[in-house]
Amino acid sequence: MDPALSTDVPTGRAVAYVFDGLTRFTPDAKVVPGLAKSWDVSPDGITYTFHLRTGVKFHDGEPFGAKTVIYSFQRVLDPKTKGGRGWPLYPIKGAEDFAAGKATDFPGIAAPNDSTVVFTLKEPLAIFPKLLAMPVTSMVPSQATDLGQKPIGTGPWKFVEWKHDDYLRFAKNPDYFDGAPKADSLMARIIPEMSTATAEFEAGNVDVLTVPDEAGKSWQADPEKSKLLQSAPALRFWYVAINVTRGPLADPRVRQALNYAVDVNTILNVVMAGRGTAAAGVVPPSLPGYDANRKGYTHDVAKAKQLLAAAGHPNGIDVELWAATTDQSPRLSQAIQANLAEAGIRAKIVQRDASSVREAARKGASDLYVKEWWADYPDAENFLFPLLHSKNKGPGGNVSFYANPKFDALVDQAHREQDEAKRNSLYTQADQLQFDDAPMIYLFFYKDMYAVQPWIHAFQVPAVFNGQRWTDVTIGK
Amino acid sequence: MFAFIVRRLLLAIPTLFGVLIVVFLLLYVAPGDPVQEMVGERADPETIARLRKELHLDEPLLNQFTHYTGGVLRGDFGNSYITQRPIIQDIRERFPKTLLLAGSAMLLASVLGITLGVLSARNPGGWFDRLGLGVAYLGISFPVYWVGLILILVFAVMLRWLPPSGYGGIKYLILPALALGSRSIAFLARVTRSAMLEVLGGDYVRTARAKGLKERVVIVRHALRNALIPIITVLGLDFGYYLTGSILTETIFSWPGLGRYVVNAITRRDLPAIQGSVLFLSVVFVLVNLLTDLAYAKADPRVAYS
Repeated sequence: MDPALSTDVPTGRAVAYVFDGLTRFTPDAKVVPGLAKSWDVSPDGITYTFHLRTGVKFHDGEPFGAKTVIYSFQRVLDPKTKGGRGWPLYPIKGAEDFAAGKATDFPGIAAPNDSTVVFTLKEPLAIFPKLLAMPVTSMVPSQATDLGQKPIGTGPWKFVEWKHDDYLRFAKNPDYFDGAPKADSLMARIIPEMSTATAEFEAGNVDVLTVPDEAGKSWQADPEKSKLLQSAPALRFWYVAINVTRGPLADPRVRQALNYAVDVNTILNVVMAGRGTAAAGVVPPSLPGYDANRKGYTHDVAKAKQLLAAAGHPNGIDVELWAATTDQSPRLSQAIQANLAEAGIRAKIVQRDASSVREAARKGASDLYVKEWWADYPDAENFLFPLLHSKNKGPGGNVSFYANPKFDALVDQAHREQDEAKRNSLYTQADQLQFDDAPMIYLFFYKDMYAVQPWIHAFQVPAVFNGQRWTDVTIGK
Repeated sequence: MFAFIVRRLLLAIPTLFGVLIVVFLLLYVAPGDPVQEMVGERADPETIARLRKELHLDEPLLNQFTHYTGGVLRGDFGNSYITQRPIIQDIRERFPKTLLLAGSAMLLASVLGITLGVLSARNPGGWFDRLGLGVAYLGISFPVYWVGLILILVFAVMLRWLPPSGYGGIKYLILPALALGSRSIAFLARVTRSAMLEVLGGDYVRTARAKGLKERVVIVRHALRNALIPIITVLGLDFGYYLTGSILTETIFSWPGLGRYVVNAITRRDLPAIQGSVLFLSVVFVLVNLLTDLAYAKADPRVAYS
């Protein structure tokens, strides 16, 4: 549970219980002050000054101050930490050289006094405060020796015990600076098999459960169970990455044909029990930059065939459709395969374990790759930049290997733009540009569904994975 | 006897070395990259290259192998790529739980399976025999994960007698042990039955009956004892099945044992964790085989090792 090593969603959630960053997310994905009371940006967008809370102590009594910020960030980047997740701090001047072991200090961070931290960025980056709410940028005490097993933070929950592969237990931090949690303790059960987790919920042993996709429909139809359901759009995006460098897929007409061939709404209803909203672009409807006027590719087999013929493939094409064996990937890939076949696109499904599929896709060895993207922070940039910017080809997240200088320029410009409205308009333009180029089959934005026992109050489904910290939740009839 | 044990233990060394080589090569050629698992969904090539170097993954296969084997010989199984905790510590924490589960399943299987087999053999073709046959067919045919889910549904969700999953006192142990042992119960019942039938036709059983011994004494002291060899064989072989079956059982019942640890390690390509666990399980397997052989000698005085 060491924040510096956290790369997956469950760890990220637990980190948000015990630790604080300078900023944090609310369940509805707003960025609010965390350990920083407020922050100012210089007019050129290069210098960020964070005013820290005073009098905050870690669970072990160590005081939090500006030095903690410097220590925590150096620790994340330090090659000795062997963490692979330093990128949210790379915008800070000198951070990348420090992480590569080329420098022993990085000049972009300074502490003029114990309650102020000043960051100098390489170039203006309006989303910088959002990056500081990620698990990896949490504040850690300098005295702690084993954060992985015994995490110590400033957060609302104190770590009590971790029975590996069984559960994690936390107790409320009565001194939490933002008001102590209303419940006394919090337990996260680790149950790998969803049917078992569902049985635990039905037996009343689990208070809040993420409802598995396959159970969604039957629970919604059950008059008793449907009362317990809560759902909200999540910042999770399902799509099929199209490798634009491979054979016929280099032609945008072919990629558009793929989009016309797939019947997203039917797939959404049948495979996903209606849990999602069909996508028209990569920016989700809940984020600024989304364009409500843009219509997605309709399901139009004739049009798909026509586009294929125009691209010189009247007899269709052969592609490999890669999918992991986990989640809904196998079922989605089968549905997509059947849709594509109607339009004369012969897709061969290649099913491997998640790790192998990802490796192949990052190397550029897959034609099509059914995948999901979980946002790290609530911003259109977190979809446009990692998934489609040419800088991020391969391991960076752009497994479509899409490279469009115009698109890159728009996203780069948005990075530097300080004006919120202008920035969002750049996002909308960039999204439109790539949507026409179709470097992916746009499937849907996922909707999280939770089952909540009647005795649990004030639970809110978080839009971003680490947005629910259980501080307002109460237990009682 | 002592010389036999020493010889067998010495023979185990090349076996384990073979396991080491096979596991190492398999993981080397298997797709999937541990470093990509470490860095998560969004990473830059420089970080990946740096981590690869730190973990010696950029070196030739032979160097990696000698590096790892050297560690193992010094008793160091390395640290997990993901948690950076020593593997040996992880195994020490989880193996007792797997052993408890496997041991309970084995106990349950021996008691139920042998009893069922003996009672079936007493009156072959009778109603109990036919019932036993039915139970055995079900036990052998149903896969462990299906049995597990049905047990959870019936005893935890519908009847609410036992908790559905987790680790704790004896009530947490019953369902997973039953699920894991179900196939073994069936198998043992069949083997015991046929071994008993063969033995019960023997001259000495007729003699025992003729001299007026009670039927219970005839069966338990004279017949069962002589039917033990095939039963021990099955128990010994089944232990391997318990270790692999525990992977599914532990996942279904959220049992925090070594089986789940291995699965997690494989999905995340945590190479030292996979290699360490497999090597450790091989050692256990070798030891169990040795114990089985020693048990033969105990059950049948004619078997002597020297």
